[in-house]
Amino acid sequence: MELTACKQCGTVVGMPEHLSPSQYRCPYCNALLHRRGQAFTDIIIMAVTTLLLFVPLTFLPVLSLNIMGIRSSATLFEALWQLYADGYHIIAVLSILTGLLIPVLMMVLLLLILVPIRLGYRPKTVALYYRIYDHMKEWGMAEVYLISIMVAIIKLSKMATLHVGLGLFVFVFFFLTFYITTVWFNPDDIWDEDAVAE
Amino acid sequence: MRLPSDIELGKALCLHCEKLHPVTRHTCTRCGAPVHQRIPDSIPKTWSFAIASMLFLIPANLLPMMIVNSIAGKDAGTIMEGVLYFFHHGSYGIAFVIFTASVFVPFFKVTVLIYLLLIVHFGWASRAMQGLKLFRIIHFVGKWSMLDIFVVALMVGLVQFGGLATIVTGPAALTFAFAVVMTMLATESFDSRLLFDIGRKREAAAMNKTIHEGKRDGK
Repeated sequence: MELTACKQCGTVVGMPEHLSPSQYRCPYCNALLHRRGQAFTDIIIMAVTTLLLFVPLTFLPVLSLNIMGIRSSATLFEALWQLYADGYHIIAVLSILTGLLIPVLMMVLLLLILVPIRLGYRPKTVALYYRIYDHMKEWGMAEVYLISIMVAIIKLSKMATLHVGLGLFVFVFFFLTFYITTVWFNPDDIWDEDAVAE
Repeated sequence: MRLPSDIELGKALCLHCEKLHPVTRHTCTRCGAPVHQRIPDSIPKTWSFAIASMLFLIPANLLPMMIVNSIAGKDAGTIMEGVLYFFHHGSYGIAFVIFTASVFVPFFKVTVLIYLLLIVHFGWASRAMQGLKLFRIIHFVGKWSMLDIFVVALMVGLVQFGGLATIVTGPAALTFAFAVVMTMLATESFDSRLLFDIGRKREAAAMNKTIHEGKRDGK
Protein backbone atom coordinates (compact mmCIF):
# COMPACT_ATOMS: atom_id res chain seq x y z
CA MET A 1 0.00 0.00 0.00
CA GLU A 2 1.48 3.32 -1.07
CA LEU A 3 0.23 6.57 0.39
CA THR A 4 -0.71 9.46 -1.83
CA ALA A 5 -2.80 12.58 -1.27
CA CYS A 6 -5.65 14.09 -3.23
CA LYS A 7 -4.49 17.16 -5.21
CA GLN A 8 -7.83 18.88 -4.75
CA CYS A 9 -8.73 18.38 -1.09
CA GLY A 10 -5.56 17.12 0.59
CA THR A 11 -6.98 13.84 1.90
CA VAL A 12 -4.32 11.18 2.36
CA VAL A 13 -5.30 8.00 0.55
CA GLY A 14 -3.67 4.58 0.47
CA MET A 15 -3.33 3.16 -3.03
CA PRO A 16 -3.07 -0.60 -3.58
CA GLU A 17 0.25 -2.00 -4.76
CA HIS A 18 -1.23 -3.48 -7.92
CA LEU A 19 -3.68 -1.08 -9.49
CA SER A 20 -6.67 -2.47 -11.32
CA PRO A 21 -7.62 -1.00 -14.73
CA SER A 22 -10.52 0.86 -13.12
CA GLN A 23 -10.38 4.49 -12.05
CA TYR A 24 -9.54 5.48 -8.50
CA ARG A 25 -11.34 8.41 -6.95
CA CYS A 26 -10.82 10.40 -3.77
CA PRO A 27 -13.13 9.04 -1.04
CA TYR A 28 -13.58 12.55 0.36
CA CYS A 29 -14.13 14.82 -2.67
CA ASN A 30 -14.47 12.33 -5.55
CA ALA A 31 -11.58 13.82 -7.56
CA LEU A 32 -9.85 11.48 -10.01
CA LEU A 33 -6.77 9.99 -8.34
CA HIS A 34 -5.65 7.44 -10.87
CA ARG A 35 -6.64 6.07 -14.23
CA ARG A 36 -4.78 3.67 -16.43
CA GLY A 37 -3.00 5.14 -19.47
CA GLN A 38 -2.39 3.59 -22.86
CA ALA A 39 0.85 1.79 -23.77
CA PHE A 40 3.76 4.16 -24.44
CA THR A 41 4.31 2.83 -27.97
CA ASP A 42 0.72 3.75 -28.90
CA ILE A 43 1.14 7.24 -27.50
CA ILE A 44 4.44 7.71 -29.35
CA ILE A 45 2.77 6.69 -32.63
CA MET A 46 -0.12 9.08 -31.98
CA ALA A 47 2.21 11.97 -31.09
CA VAL A 48 4.24 11.40 -34.28
CA THR A 49 0.99 11.36 -36.29
CA THR A 50 -0.02 14.68 -34.73
CA LEU A 51 3.34 16.21 -35.60
CA LEU A 52 3.12 14.89 -39.17
CA LEU A 53 -0.35 16.39 -39.54
CA PHE A 54 1.07 19.70 -38.40
CA VAL A 55 3.45 19.90 -41.36
CA PRO A 56 0.77 20.53 -44.05
CA LEU A 57 -0.90 23.05 -41.73
CA THR A 58 2.01 25.39 -42.26
CA PHE A 59 1.25 25.82 -45.97
CA LEU A 60 -2.36 24.70 -46.63
CA PRO A 61 -4.94 27.51 -46.62
CA VAL A 62 -7.78 27.16 -44.09
CA LEU A 63 -10.13 29.56 -45.77
CA SER A 64 -10.27 31.64 -48.88
CA LEU A 65 -12.55 34.60 -49.36
CA ASN A 66 -13.91 36.22 -52.44
CA ILE A 67 -15.20 39.78 -52.45
CA MET A 68 -16.11 41.14 -55.89
CA GLY A 69 -13.61 38.99 -57.70
CA ILE A 70 -10.70 39.64 -55.35
CA ARG A 71 -9.44 36.55 -53.59
CA SER A 72 -7.72 36.35 -50.28
CA SER A 73 -6.67 33.17 -48.54
CA ALA A 74 -4.68 32.40 -45.45
CA THR A 75 -3.15 29.49 -43.59
CA LEU A 76 -3.63 29.12 -39.82
CA PHE A 77 -0.33 30.90 -39.24
CA GLU A 78 -0.88 33.69 -41.74
CA ALA A 79 -4.29 34.49 -40.31
CA LEU A 80 -2.77 35.10 -36.89
CA TRP A 81 0.46 36.57 -38.21
CA GLN A 82 -1.44 39.38 -39.90
CA LEU A 83 -2.21 40.70 -36.42
CA TYR A 84 1.48 40.92 -35.69
CA ALA A 85 2.06 42.79 -38.92
CA ASP A 86 -0.72 45.21 -37.92
CA GLY A 87 1.11 45.97 -34.70
CA TYR A 88 -0.93 43.83 -32.28
CA HIS A 89 2.13 41.93 -31.15
CA ILE A 90 0.83 40.69 -27.82
CA ILE A 91 -2.44 39.24 -29.08
CA ALA A 92 -0.71 37.74 -32.12
CA VAL A 93 1.98 36.04 -30.05
CA LEU A 94 -0.55 34.89 -27.46
CA SER A 95 -2.87 33.31 -30.03
CA ILE A 96 -0.12 31.69 -32.06
CA LEU A 97 1.36 30.23 -28.87
CA THR A 98 -1.85 28.91 -27.35
CA GLY A 99 -3.57 27.90 -30.57
CA LEU A 100 -0.72 26.22 -32.41
CA LEU A 101 2.74 26.22 -30.88
CA ILE A 102 1.95 24.92 -27.39
CA PRO A 103 -0.01 21.90 -28.73
CA VAL A 104 2.93 21.13 -31.03
CA LEU A 105 5.49 21.63 -28.26
CA MET A 106 3.44 19.34 -26.01
CA MET A 107 3.74 16.58 -28.58
CA VAL A 108 7.50 17.16 -28.92
CA LEU A 109 7.86 17.06 -25.13
CA LEU A 110 5.83 13.84 -24.93
CA LEU A 111 8.24 12.25 -27.41
CA LEU A 112 11.19 13.55 -25.39
CA ILE A 113 9.65 11.92 -22.31
CA LEU A 114 8.38 8.64 -23.70
CA VAL A 115 11.04 7.65 -26.25
CA PRO A 116 13.94 7.64 -23.73
CA ILE A 117 11.82 5.73 -21.19
CA ARG A 118 10.85 3.21 -23.86
CA LEU A 119 14.56 2.82 -24.63
CA GLY A 120 15.22 2.05 -20.99
CA TYR A 121 16.48 5.35 -19.60
CA ARG A 122 15.62 6.24 -16.00
CA PRO A 123 12.49 8.41 -15.60
CA LYS A 124 14.52 10.96 -13.67
CA THR A 125 16.41 11.95 -16.82
CA VAL A 126 13.17 13.16 -18.42
CA ALA A 127 11.57 14.62 -15.28
CA LEU A 128 12.33 18.18 -16.39
CA TYR A 129 10.48 17.68 -19.70
CA TYR A 130 7.52 16.29 -17.81
CA ARG A 131 7.40 19.35 -15.57
CA ILE A 132 7.42 21.67 -18.58
CA TYR A 133 4.67 19.55 -20.17
CA ASP A 134 2.62 19.77 -16.97
CA HIS A 135 2.92 23.58 -16.98
CA MET A 136 1.93 23.82 -20.65
CA LYS A 137 -1.13 21.58 -20.36
CA GLU A 138 -3.43 24.41 -19.29
CA TRP A 139 -2.31 26.68 -22.10
CA GLY A 140 -2.79 24.50 -25.14
CA MET A 141 -5.97 25.72 -26.80
CA ALA A 142 -6.16 23.93 -30.15
CA GLU A 143 -9.82 23.08 -29.55
CA VAL A 144 -10.72 26.71 -28.87
CA TYR A 145 -8.95 27.73 -32.06
CA LEU A 146 -10.86 25.06 -33.99
CA ILE A 147 -14.25 26.25 -32.76
CA SER A 148 -13.24 29.87 -33.40
CA ILE A 149 -12.62 28.97 -37.06
CA MET A 150 -16.19 27.71 -37.24
CA VAL A 151 -17.50 30.93 -35.67
CA ALA A 152 -15.39 33.02 -38.06
CA ILE A 153 -16.76 31.05 -41.03
CA ILE A 154 -20.32 31.82 -39.98
CA LYS A 155 -19.49 35.48 -39.40
CA LEU A 156 -17.67 35.87 -42.70
CA SER A 157 -20.19 33.97 -44.79
CA LYS A 158 -22.41 37.04 -44.55
CA MET A 159 -19.68 39.30 -45.93
CA ALA A 160 -18.09 37.34 -48.73
CA THR A 161 -18.07 34.12 -50.72
CA LEU A 162 -16.20 31.53 -48.70
CA HIS A 163 -14.26 28.47 -49.67
CA VAL A 164 -13.14 26.14 -46.95
CA GLY A 165 -9.57 25.07 -47.63
CA LEU A 166 -7.98 21.68 -47.14
CA GLY A 167 -6.12 23.14 -44.16
CA LEU A 168 -9.28 23.15 -42.09
CA PHE A 169 -9.85 19.41 -42.55
CA VAL A 170 -6.23 18.71 -41.69
CA PHE A 171 -6.62 20.89 -38.60
CA VAL A 172 -9.65 18.87 -37.46
CA PHE A 173 -7.58 15.67 -37.68
CA PHE A 174 -4.61 17.42 -36.06
CA PHE A 175 -6.82 18.34 -33.12
CA LEU A 176 -8.33 14.85 -32.86
CA THR A 177 -4.95 13.08 -32.77
CA PHE A 178 -3.62 15.73 -30.37
CA TYR A 179 -6.56 15.18 -28.06
CA ILE A 180 -6.29 11.37 -28.18
CA THR A 181 -2.56 11.58 -27.45
CA THR A 182 -3.02 13.75 -24.35
CA VAL A 183 -5.88 11.58 -23.05
CA TRP A 184 -3.93 8.36 -23.55
CA PHE A 185 -0.93 9.69 -21.69
CA ASN A 186 -1.07 9.02 -17.98
CA PRO A 187 1.92 10.55 -16.17
CA ASP A 188 1.67 7.99 -13.34
CA ASP A 189 2.92 5.35 -15.77
CA ILE A 190 6.29 7.08 -16.13
CA TRP A 191 7.00 6.64 -12.44
CA ASP A 192 5.49 3.15 -12.25
CA GLU A 193 8.30 1.99 -14.52
CA ASP A 194 10.69 3.58 -12.06
CA ALA A 195 9.47 1.28 -9.31
CA VAL A 196 10.08 -1.72 -11.56
CA ALA A 197 13.61 -0.55 -12.39
CA GLU A 198 14.62 -0.17 -8.79
CA MET B 1 -13.99 7.12 10.09
CA ARG B 2 -12.37 10.50 9.59
CA LEU B 3 -10.08 10.79 6.59
CA PRO B 4 -6.90 12.60 7.65
CA SER B 5 -5.35 15.32 5.49
CA ASP B 6 -1.71 15.70 4.52
CA ILE B 7 -1.28 18.50 7.07
CA GLU B 8 -2.47 16.33 9.96
CA LEU B 9 -0.08 13.55 8.96
CA GLY B 10 2.82 15.96 8.33
CA LYS B 11 3.04 15.10 4.63
CA ALA B 12 3.50 17.18 1.50
CA LEU B 13 2.46 16.16 -2.00
CA CYS B 14 4.50 16.79 -5.15
CA LEU B 15 1.98 18.41 -7.48
CA HIS B 16 3.78 17.20 -10.59
CA CYS B 17 4.34 13.48 -10.03
CA GLU B 18 1.99 13.07 -7.05
CA LYS B 19 4.49 11.45 -4.74
CA LEU B 20 3.84 11.97 -1.04
CA HIS B 21 6.81 13.23 0.97
CA PRO B 22 7.39 14.06 4.62
CA VAL B 23 6.78 17.78 5.11
CA THR B 24 10.50 18.41 5.79
CA ARG B 25 11.36 17.63 2.16
CA HIS B 26 11.53 20.58 -0.24
CA THR B 27 12.50 18.85 -3.47
CA CYS B 28 10.75 15.82 -4.90
CA THR B 29 12.95 12.72 -4.84
CA ARG B 30 11.15 11.27 -7.82
CA CYS B 31 10.87 14.14 -10.31
CA GLY B 32 13.00 16.92 -8.80
CA ALA B 33 10.20 19.51 -8.63
CA PRO B 34 9.98 21.87 -5.64
CA VAL B 35 7.56 20.47 -3.05
CA HIS B 36 5.28 22.66 -0.93
CA GLN B 37 2.50 21.49 1.36
CA ARG B 38 0.26 24.22 -0.08
CA ILE B 39 0.93 26.43 -3.11
CA PRO B 40 3.07 29.30 -1.69
CA ASP B 41 1.25 32.65 -1.42
CA SER B 42 -1.80 31.10 -3.05
CA ILE B 43 -4.32 33.53 -1.53
CA PRO B 44 -2.56 36.88 -2.23
CA LYS B 45 -1.67 35.69 -5.74
CA THR B 46 -5.23 34.65 -6.50
CA TRP B 47 -6.58 37.93 -5.11
CA SER B 48 -4.26 40.00 -7.29
CA PHE B 49 -4.97 38.05 -10.48
CA ALA B 50 -8.72 38.10 -9.79
CA ILE B 51 -8.77 41.85 -9.18
CA ALA B 52 -6.58 42.48 -12.22
CA SER B 53 -8.89 40.45 -14.45
CA MET B 54 -11.90 42.29 -13.05
CA LEU B 55 -10.30 45.63 -13.98
CA PHE B 56 -9.39 44.41 -17.47
CA LEU B 57 -12.92 43.15 -18.03
CA ILE B 58 -14.43 46.64 -17.79
CA PRO B 59 -12.76 48.16 -20.90
CA ALA B 60 -12.98 44.75 -22.59
CA ASN B 61 -16.75 44.99 -22.51
CA LEU B 62 -17.14 48.72 -23.18
CA LEU B 63 -14.66 49.26 -26.02
CA PRO B 64 -15.00 47.88 -29.56
CA MET B 65 -13.59 44.41 -30.17
CA MET B 66 -13.08 44.84 -33.89
CA ILE B 67 -13.61 47.53 -36.47
CA VAL B 68 -14.88 46.64 -39.94
CA ASN B 69 -14.00 49.08 -42.71
CA SER B 70 -15.93 48.39 -45.88
CA ILE B 71 -17.60 50.28 -48.73
CA ALA B 72 -20.69 50.32 -46.56
CA GLY B 73 -18.77 52.42 -44.00
CA LYS B 74 -17.01 51.95 -40.71
CA ASP B 75 -18.52 49.60 -38.19
CA ALA B 76 -17.10 49.16 -34.69
CA GLY B 77 -18.69 46.68 -32.34
CA THR B 78 -18.30 45.64 -28.74
CA ILE B 79 -18.64 42.00 -27.69
CA MET B 80 -22.25 42.48 -26.62
CA GLU B 81 -23.15 44.19 -29.90
CA GLY B 82 -21.74 41.17 -31.73
CA VAL B 83 -23.95 38.88 -29.67
CA LEU B 84 -27.02 41.04 -30.36
CA TYR B 85 -26.19 41.15 -34.06
CA PHE B 86 -26.34 37.36 -34.32
CA PHE B 87 -29.42 37.25 -32.12
CA HIS B 88 -31.32 39.67 -34.38
CA HIS B 89 -30.26 37.80 -37.50
CA GLY B 90 -31.65 34.57 -36.18
CA SER B 91 -28.32 32.81 -35.48
CA TYR B 92 -29.31 31.96 -31.92
CA GLY B 93 -26.77 29.14 -31.64
CA ILE B 94 -23.80 31.37 -32.46
CA ALA B 95 -25.18 34.20 -30.33
CA PHE B 96 -25.41 31.77 -27.42
CA VAL B 97 -21.86 30.41 -27.92
CA ILE B 98 -20.32 33.89 -28.11
CA PHE B 99 -22.34 35.15 -25.17
CA THR B 100 -21.38 32.17 -23.02
CA ALA B 101 -17.70 32.17 -23.95
CA SER B 102 -17.04 35.92 -23.92
CA VAL B 103 -19.49 37.50 -21.51
CA PHE B 104 -20.87 34.92 -19.12
CA VAL B 105 -17.76 32.77 -18.53
CA PRO B 106 -15.28 35.57 -17.67
CA PHE B 107 -17.68 37.23 -15.21
CA PHE B 108 -18.69 33.86 -13.77
CA LYS B 109 -15.02 32.95 -13.28
CA VAL B 110 -14.16 36.16 -11.46
CA THR B 111 -17.25 35.88 -9.26
CA VAL B 112 -16.48 32.27 -8.35
CA LEU B 113 -12.82 33.11 -7.63
CA ILE B 114 -13.83 35.84 -5.22
CA TYR B 115 -16.39 33.54 -3.60
CA LEU B 116 -13.67 30.91 -3.12
CA LEU B 117 -11.32 33.47 -1.62
CA LEU B 118 -14.07 34.54 0.79
CA ILE B 119 -14.70 30.91 1.81
CA VAL B 120 -11.02 30.58 2.72
CA HIS B 121 -10.86 34.02 4.32
CA PHE B 122 -13.88 33.57 6.60
CA GLY B 123 -13.45 29.83 7.05
CA TRP B 124 -16.92 28.85 5.84
CA ALA B 125 -16.20 25.16 6.26
CA SER B 126 -19.70 24.04 5.30
CA ARG B 127 -19.30 25.62 1.85
CA ALA B 128 -15.95 23.99 1.08
CA MET B 129 -17.36 21.14 -1.01
CA GLN B 130 -19.64 23.47 -2.98
CA GLY B 131 -16.62 25.72 -3.54
CA LEU B 132 -14.56 22.83 -4.86
CA LYS B 133 -17.32 21.93 -7.33
CA LEU B 134 -17.42 25.53 -8.60
CA PHE B 135 -13.62 25.52 -8.82
CA ARG B 136 -13.73 22.42 -11.03
CA ILE B 137 -16.21 24.16 -13.33
CA ILE B 138 -14.12 27.31 -13.77
CA HIS B 139 -11.02 25.20 -14.26
CA PHE B 140 -12.76 23.34 -17.07
CA VAL B 141 -14.28 26.31 -18.90
CA GLY B 142 -11.31 28.66 -18.40
CA LYS B 143 -9.65 28.48 -21.77
CA TRP B 144 -12.90 28.85 -23.74
CA SER B 145 -13.01 32.57 -23.06
CA MET B 146 -10.16 32.91 -25.54
CA LEU B 147 -12.65 32.04 -28.29
CA ASP B 148 -13.47 35.61 -29.22
CA ILE B 149 -9.81 36.59 -29.40
CA PHE B 150 -9.19 33.83 -31.91
CA VAL B 151 -12.27 34.82 -33.92
CA VAL B 152 -11.10 38.43 -34.13
CA ALA B 153 -7.56 37.36 -34.97
CA LEU B 154 -8.79 35.11 -37.77
CA MET B 155 -11.10 37.71 -39.23
CA VAL B 156 -8.43 40.37 -39.19
CA GLY B 157 -6.07 37.98 -40.90
CA LEU B 158 -8.53 36.85 -43.53
CA VAL B 159 -10.34 40.02 -44.47
CA GLN B 160 -7.62 42.07 -46.12
CA PHE B 161 -9.08 43.58 -49.27
CA GLY B 162 -7.37 46.93 -49.30
CA GLY B 163 -9.92 49.67 -50.08
CA LEU B 164 -12.85 47.27 -50.35
CA ALA B 165 -12.96 45.82 -46.88
CA THR B 166 -10.53 45.46 -43.99
CA ILE B 167 -11.02 44.45 -40.40
CA VAL B 168 -8.80 45.81 -37.65
CA THR B 169 -8.59 44.79 -34.03
CA GLY B 170 -10.30 47.09 -31.56
CA PRO B 171 -8.78 48.14 -28.23
CA ALA B 172 -11.01 45.70 -26.34
CA ALA B 173 -9.24 42.70 -27.85
CA LEU B 174 -6.07 43.37 -25.90
CA THR B 175 -7.75 44.06 -22.56
CA PHE B 176 -10.02 41.07 -23.06
CA ALA B 177 -7.04 38.81 -23.76
CA PHE B 178 -5.36 40.13 -20.61
CA ALA B 179 -8.51 39.55 -18.57
CA VAL B 180 -8.70 35.94 -19.74
CA VAL B 181 -5.02 35.31 -19.06
CA MET B 182 -5.42 36.83 -15.57
CA THR B 183 -8.38 34.59 -14.72
CA MET B 184 -6.39 31.57 -15.89
CA LEU B 185 -3.41 32.59 -13.76
CA ALA B 186 -5.76 33.13 -10.81
CA THR B 187 -7.22 29.64 -11.22
CA GLU B 188 -3.74 28.17 -11.41
CA SER B 189 -2.54 29.95 -8.28
CA PHE B 190 -5.57 28.97 -6.21
CA ASP B 191 -4.98 25.93 -4.01
CA SER B 192 -8.35 24.22 -3.56
CA ARG B 193 -7.05 22.28 -0.54
CA LEU B 194 -7.17 25.53 1.43
CA LEU B 195 -10.97 25.34 1.26
CA PHE B 196 -10.95 22.26 3.49
CA ASP B 197 -8.06 23.08 5.80
CA ILE B 198 -9.96 25.26 8.27
CA GLY B 199 -12.87 22.84 8.60
CA ARG B 200 -10.47 19.97 9.15
CA LYS B 201 -8.52 21.89 11.76
CA ARG B 202 -11.75 22.57 13.65
CA GLU B 203 -12.84 18.94 13.42
CA ALA B 204 -9.49 17.77 14.71
CA ALA B 205 -9.61 20.29 17.57
CA ALA B 206 -13.15 19.20 18.49
CA MET B 207 -12.07 15.58 18.52
CA ASN B 208 -9.06 16.30 20.71
CA LYS B 209 -11.30 18.16 23.10
CA THR B 210 -13.76 15.25 23.46
CA ILE B 211 -10.88 12.83 24.03
CA HIS B 212 -9.40 15.19 26.60
CA GLU B 213 -12.72 15.65 28.43
CA GLY B 214 -13.36 11.92 28.28
CA LYS B 215 -10.05 11.29 30.06
CA ARG B 216 -10.83 13.85 32.73
CA ASP B 217 -14.24 12.30 33.40
CA GLY B 218 -12.61 8.90 33.66
CA LYS B 219 -10.36 10.14 36.45
